[in-house]
Amino acid sequence: MEIMRTHKVSKRFPGVLALNGVDLVVETGKIHCIVGENGAGKSTLIKILTGLYEPDEGDVFIDGKSVRLDSRLFGRVAYVPQELDQFENMTVADNLFMPLQSSDVNSFLIRKSRLQSLAVPWLEKFQISAGPEQLARDISVSEQQLLQIARGMVNDSAQILLLDEPTTSLTTKDTQRLFEVVRQLKDSGKAIIFISHKIEEIFQLADEITVLRNGEKVAHSRAEEVDIAWVIRQMVGREIDQTISYASENVSDEVLLDVENLTGDIFSGVGFQLRKGEILGFSGLVGSGRSEVMQAILGYLPVWSGSVLLDGKSWKFGDTHFSVENGYIYLPEERKRQGILPYMSVRKNLTISLLEQVSNRFALSGKREAALSREIVEAYNIKAASLEQQIRFLSGGNQQKVIIGRSMYSRPKVLVFDEPTKGIDVGTKTEIYRLMKKLAEETGIGIILISSEIEEVMRCANRIATMYNGRLAGIFDTANSDKSAILNSIIGVA
Amino acid sequence: MIQLLHKWGTFMNKTTFTGSAVQNALKSKITKITFVLLGLIVISSLASEYFLTFYNIQSVTRDLAFVSIIAIAQSCLLLLGELDLSVGKIAALCGILSGLLMVQYKVPPVLAIVICILLGALFGLLNGLIITGLKLNAMIVTIGMQSVYGGIILVLTRGKAITNIPKGISFLGSGSIAGIPVPFLFMLLILTGIIFLVKFTRFGRYIYAIGNSREAATILGIKTNRVRLGVYALVGMVSAFAGLLMVARLGTAQPSIGDSWPLNGIAAAVIGGVALTGGDGNPLGALIGAMIISIIQNMIVLFGINIYWQTAVSGIVVVLAISIDPLTNLLRNAQKKRARNKELKVRQ
Repeated sequence: MEIMRTHKVSKRFPGVLALNGVDLVVETGKIHCIVGENGAGKSTLIKILTGLYEPDEGDVFIDGKSVRLDSRLFGRVAYVPQELDQFENMTVADNLFMPLQSSDVNSFLIRKSRLQSLAVPWLEKFQISAGPEQLARDISVSEQQLLQIARGMVNDSAQILLLDEPTTSLTTKDTQRLFEVVRQLKDSGKAIIFISHKIEEIFQLADEITVLRNGEKVAHSRAEEVDIAWVIRQMVGREIDQTISYASENVSDEVLLDVENLTGDIFSGVGFQLRKGEILGFSGLVGSGRSEVMQAILGYLPVWSGSVLLDGKSWKFGDTHFSVENGYIYLPEERKRQGILPYMSVRKNLTISLLEQVSNRFALSGKREAALSREIVEAYNIKAASLEQQIRFLSGGNQQKVIIGRSMYSRPKVLVFDEPTKGIDVGTKTEIYRLMKKLAEETGIGIILISSEIEEVMRCANRIATMYNGRLAGIFDTANSDKSAILNSIIGVA
Repeated sequence: MIQLLHKWGTFMNKTTFTGSAVQNALKSKITKITFVLLGLIVISSLASEYFLTFYNIQSVTRDLAFVSIIAIAQSCLLLLGELDLSVGKIAALCGILSGLLMVQYKVPPVLAIVICILLGALFGLLNGLIITGLKLNAMIVTIGMQSVYGGIILVLTRGKAITNIPKGISFLGSGSIAGIPVPFLFMLLILTGIIFLVKFTRFGRYIYAIGNSREAATILGIKTNRVRLGVYALVGMVSAFAGLLMVARLGTAQPSIGDSWPLNGIAAAVIGGVALTGGDGNPLGALIGAMIISIIQNMIVLFGINIYWQTAVSGIVVVLAISIDPLTNLLRNAQKKRARNKELKVRQ
């Protein structure tokens, strides 16, 4: 039975059409998977389905009624965001019933014991083994994920459950537990919308599959009628030759970066070497310590012991200025928070680390600055309305190119790319792969590529280092190792 | 009134389209707030025949100079996403110290002034060191430091003013050159210097970068703490200078100098479009904001409104002035929504 539908919804942001005339029908007792590459419009669609954004065109109907006329209809949608947002210092029971408005617990005085006894059946139903009195911050990530789903369903009127990439930080086993819970909910007559980019997963769960690409709905089918290859074809829009390698073909024998026995807050005893012209992949689950190791070498996070040699220079820890001066440059995963300077122009973002090059004796030279920024914009094919446009209005891919461009002009020796293709469309992705390969081969710098997408690392890296639980789990030669061995080492099985 | 505001909003929106430099300039907050200032001047001069008299203008610009100096300096900290609430007490303490040096210890005025300006930089630096070194919140720390500096003033003076300040320095506070009050000229000098610093030097660019995202700036290799310390010292130094000008003007060093400066300075900067969250704005805006506040206070005097109302009225004006932008946005959105709902109903 149909419970929710969108009718030709479109949403435009400065410079991009994020969604273009998308139709979607959601039925009760079914699991509807929405897939698409990063930047395909999934997150915009979610925000429209949950009432966070109003579409520019088109409409959303819940139970046959337009939400424009009655926005309370969104109360039927339980949304579970990708990032965990628990009230960490409150108990499991508090978290479950927040904001304490469902009819059972809605009274002026809240009794702890009553809340906790009410929580027990919910915890059982969702296979959460933690006790209701435990603090949310003390339970495991997978339990937090389940708790978050449970919280969505506690609300009496919730009929549609919207799960946004719920398995990103889960192990295979925990994923199965989550799927079991989701199937139960489906059998109890809820409608489920499941967003993911892990295609293998989807086929374990989906009744219906909708594929988004570049903001448009390009395909829709019942799950049993199609296969993985079909979904990939629809997502990418063409046959992608998954075998093209972007690994560097000009790796020298000379060691550029030598890390020994590095220990910090959440990692310990990490050691590896990076050669000139090499692309070294770093793979591991979220929280395994990949980014933290690189940020510690940068001086952004503390190092307790160990040593680093870069191009023969012994390293000073805790000083980002020193690291950047000596050619170690980190391109952050959290682009919006740590990479760009959102309210400054493209020009100022490009030259912020190159101000020495555009200064004369007394002050900054506007002429030199404009010339240099134009040069980078052309060299890296950055698309912006003007150099004076604030960078926050650029697409993720173009922001990334600004960051790469300015890094390359500050004479790097080692570039650390932390999830460089996160939130970036497919076309730009391969552009960035090609760029990394070119940089490594032609300039002889060393590249460290941190990525959660195992395919990405396998295509781009000469060697792959895996991390598990703060320790280096293994280092593989990409050419001579198979995916399952690497995967096992990532999840700590090896 | 609300209708007017709304028309103003749509007018600004229509006239401000992205693109050329001229249009960009039109879109900037400074331009909007300059229009407000000009409007206010026109209204004031129509409402009171005394407003545009030479004497009145001179007295307004002299008063204005002090809070402007504070606002301009403070806007550098606001650009960093921080602030210093102890600027008034730093000004007063340095004023008192200069008085003591000149009167009790017979130090030559020029030397006393130089020493006290350097002490001001030191006090600002001390604030900065506590904030950056211990990673504390600027507002809390400077509220605390304000009491510390205020307490030292009381210990030094027992609440009494220091009189018999050498006549020689009174020119700095009450003199005029070609009819323009000397403090106002000093303010213009400081404004020019600070605009040069934030707009045309690396240091200034780093201030904006840190205000945009301290994390990103650190990752870029900018010495963020050094820049922050520099700005705290600068603000302390400029505040001390404002305090000294006030001593020169009054001819006595009073413990109550600068009591209203911290909040009025921040209000002026915010009215002038400097974002409290950092990274966006121009010190010139702080001057325009201060002018708006001063003119309104002047009108209260000229209209003969009970002087005790002055604080309340200028407070209301500050809140109103910073509400213009969000209010027009709210109204515009409400109107859009109404139009669309109407359209929907017609279709059904």
